[in-house]
Amino acid sequence: MAIIEVRDVKKTYPLGKVEVQAVKGVSFSIEKGDFISIAGPSGSGKSTILNMIGLIDKPSSGEVLIEGRPTSGLSDKELTRLRHEVLGFIFQSFNLIPVLNVWENIEFPLLLGKTKVSATEKKEWIDWLIDEVSLSEWRTHKPNELSGGQRQRVAIARALVTKPGIVLADEPTANLDSSTGEQIIELMKKINRELSTTFIFSTHDAKIVEVADHIIRLKDGLIVENKRLNGAGSPDQVRE
Amino acid sequence: MKYIIPRIALRNLSRQKKRSFLLGGAIAFGIMIVTLINGFAGAFIENVSENFAYLMAGHVFVQGAEKTPSGKRLSVIRDDSIIFSAVRDSGLSYEFATKTSEVSASLFFEGKTIRQNLTGLDLATNLFLRERVVLRQGSWDAIGPDSIILSEKIASRLNVLPGDRITASFQTLTGQNNIADFTLAAISVDSSIIGSVMSYVDLAYINEAIGLKSGEYMALGFMLNDLKAAEAFASRLYTSMAGMGIQLFDRSANEEGSAATPFQAMIRTQRSEDWQGSRYSVYTIDDIVSQAKQIVVALDGASLIILLVLFAIVMIGINNTFRMVMYERIKEIGTMRAVGVQRKEIRSLFLNEALFLALGGAVAGLVLALIAMSILSLIDFGMNTPAFMIMKNGHLSFFVPPLRAVFNVVIIAALTLLAAYFPAKAAAKMEPAVALRTAK
Repeated sequence: MAIIEVRDVKKTYPLGKVEVQAVKGVSFSIEKGDFISIAGPSGSGKSTILNMIGLIDKPSSGEVLIEGRPTSGLSDKELTRLRHEVLGFIFQSFNLIPVLNVWENIEFPLLLGKTKVSATEKKEWIDWLIDEVSLSEWRTHKPNELSGGQRQRVAIARALVTKPGIVLADEPTANLDSSTGEQIIELMKKINRELSTTFIFSTHDAKIVEVADHIIRLKDGLIVENKRLNGAGSPDQVRE
Repeated sequence: MKYIIPRIALRNLSRQKKRSFLLGGAIAFGIMIVTLINGFAGAFIENVSENFAYLMAGHVFVQGAEKTPSGKRLSVIRDDSIIFSAVRDSGLSYEFATKTSEVSASLFFEGKTIRQNLTGLDLATNLFLRERVVLRQGSWDAIGPDSIILSEKIASRLNVLPGDRITASFQTLTGQNNIADFTLAAISVDSSIIGSVMSYVDLAYINEAIGLKSGEYMALGFMLNDLKAAEAFASRLYTSMAGMGIQLFDRSANEEGSAATPFQAMIRTQRSEDWQGSRYSVYTIDDIVSQAKQIVVALDGASLIILLVLFAIVMIGINNTFRMVMYERIKEIGTMRAVGVQRKEIRSLFLNEALFLALGGAVAGLVLALIAMSILSLIDFGMNTPAFMIMKNGHLSFFVPPLRAVFNVVIIAALTLLAAYFPAKAAAKMEPAVALRTAK
């Protein structure tokens, strides 16, 4: 079963007195453990699709299914709970909470909702994540004391701390130099292999797109290419 | 949630230190002013009562009254043994009792005249008066049977010096005009309004002059260890005297449709009612100064208005600031919502921040008020200041009722929360995608 299924999703935004159709009807599915890139130029609808998969934006029509569950009828409270339990987020500009240090930023999602984790288990898990993203020396530092690459590694650890099935990354390398960007993608790939976490990232960087094993290319709100690489499965139907 | 929201809220206050300091400072200033007014009002009644008690030599008083066949009211205690018996029977204790008589007189000296209340006490033995009344000129050693002690202001207006002979004209108990000569034994430091209308003379001498027999006098004052015990003392004495079948004036009389205090109502009853024999009134110093309580009520009312006006201004500031904060932190709001923070928790984040600001400001304001009170109470205004009656031994004194302080803090917290509520609600209502998009 697909972990995510997008069925004929459209999204229209009001822009002043006119309405802009950012996504014009797209359908695709994502399997568990995929490392998927949503590629395309600016304004192609990448972020909009990512937001709808991430349940932080609602489609104007169509349906997004997470782990087989339709999401269109859910209340804000239920959507928030589902985001917390199933999804992790990595943002282009890191979006760390400035008053919390590295450890606290990573811990933050674990303190939300009703999930109870023992103190020892939590500490071991966060320590493991901090080691995994190579920030052991920086655990007590605040975000403003870190470089861009380090901040994004904190964001990756934060996205993984609730052990979500899916991590969404919107242009995770856009604010980083190319070398750091590659390291971040490599880190995501490594975690994808180790934890079988599904990673979906949007990018317009052709070099980074090729790292993915499933690529969805967008143009003007439509899918122009949907292919799996390295024998990762047969491509879905491509709409043009 | 393990207090993560309050923790973030508290730390958020340190992000814009200058802004938090100014807002907290405005709250602190308001609380300080209001606490100072409350502190002054809180001590006002006690100071006035205590100073009156010292000047009138008692916390609780028993006054005797008789009605003549012509309807004239006489103030007299002819036999005090029943009063002391009632005190003994009810197991009441006091520091000392002072017998007094009082008459309104005109004082004459070399063509000058002035109206005064002559208070007769046992000048030779009343140690309390000697402790309390500060003499500017003359000496207690010069006290004789016909001595009079005038305040500085009165002595100056009569242009008299110790040793001078002053003539007093007054009415006796039965209404006949009489005169008596007094020797000025000493001049005391002015004791405010009371000092300017009150002079001390010897009890036996004035009693004889107004027609009271030996052992008779007008009022008996009991000085207690503590002013606060006065009401209980008066109440028990009243019950005890009533139990002995003594005629008494009602202590809790009320006049319908009148703003008069029970004490004022009791005085009016004495004028309007008729009775046979001796009838007694029991009252405390608080009953006498009960009108001063209206000043306290006015001060408290004024402080509440000041509190509300100051905080209406502060609320506008807080509301605007939190609107600004909402836009400054829009990315954080979006991020938090994305990672699983519910709407109500976003609202709570803002409200917690406002609450910490209010509590921090309020505590700082209370501390500042306490410091200001300590400094102000160190200043010695002296015993001859016109404001003597509202001071404690010439010093300003303050008492903030704890419940009043708590009330002020609660009001501030509630108003601050109200000011922050609408920005907090707007932040909570924001869609995560909109918040994240706006921040890009």
